[in-house]
Amino acid sequence: MNKVFSALADPTRRAILARLALGEQTVNDLVAPFGLTQPSISKHLKVLEGAGLVSRGRLAQTRPVRLNAAAMATAADWLADYKRFWEANFDRLDAYALELKKDRADEA
Amino acid sequence: MKLENAYRSVTVSRVIDAPADLLFECHAKPEHVMKWFGPVGWPITLCEMDFRVGGAWRMAMTGEDGVQNTPFGGIFLEIIPGRLISYDNAFEEPGAERMVMTFLFEPLPGGKTKLSVETTFPTASMWESHVGQGLVVGLGSALEQMEDLAIGMKGAA
Repeated sequence: MNKVFSALADPTRRAILARLALGEQTVNDLVAPFGLTQPSISKHLKVLEGAGLVSRGRLAQTRPVRLNAAAMATAADWLADYKRFWEANFDRLDAYALELKKDRADEA
Repeated sequence: MKLENAYRSVTVSRVIDAPADLLFECHAKPEHVMKWFGPVGWPITLCEMDFRVGGAWRMAMTGEDGVQNTPFGGIFLEIIPGRLISYDNAFEEPGAERMVMTFLFEPLPGGKTKLSVETTFPTASMWESHVGQGLVVGLGSALEQMEDLAIGMKGAA
């Protein structure tokens, strides 16, 4: 999971993932839209691959890159759970604060 | 806030129909915190606070089996009455990573308040969630964007 989040920390890598969401791409396909050199794109892909977020074809010479959606989903699920935890806390706080406000108004 | 923190923070906000001072108080006293904090089915059964900068706080939850979980807690790092509370937070376990929680209370017109909680995680760390689900964390990214991206992907699939 650490690798996933540090891989996602970089805006270029997130943009690469967004592009791969549309379908698999070769390194060359990715060079033009990002205006980066091929080694630079390859370096980013290596990080994404190490985090399990993308996989690359072994057979074709172009080794097309595709998204590993399951790894992305795991990271997003964790985040959603954590947010839900706080949303639920705030629901209870909301109700409790209302009660407290009423009690104090009654006392005053 | 340092930019590097922004890349490993999660913020949840809510507008609540209560004044900032009241909501601040709900965070500053154990008898209030115990009423609203914690996951469903895991009541807070230990809550101690030395509410001052440098003071310690400590909490623990008890599950349905009646056994109290490992306590967690930390130190109050910053307090601005009615406006801000910041503390660090870790389980009382050897090598536990500390995260920093910052609560912001922004007064809005009509006696309402925008309450935000920002959680900043230690870099490259694992944190057994006190949500009680044993979730593993190691945040190092602009998480909101990542979530949007994942949702977009789901839509595209």
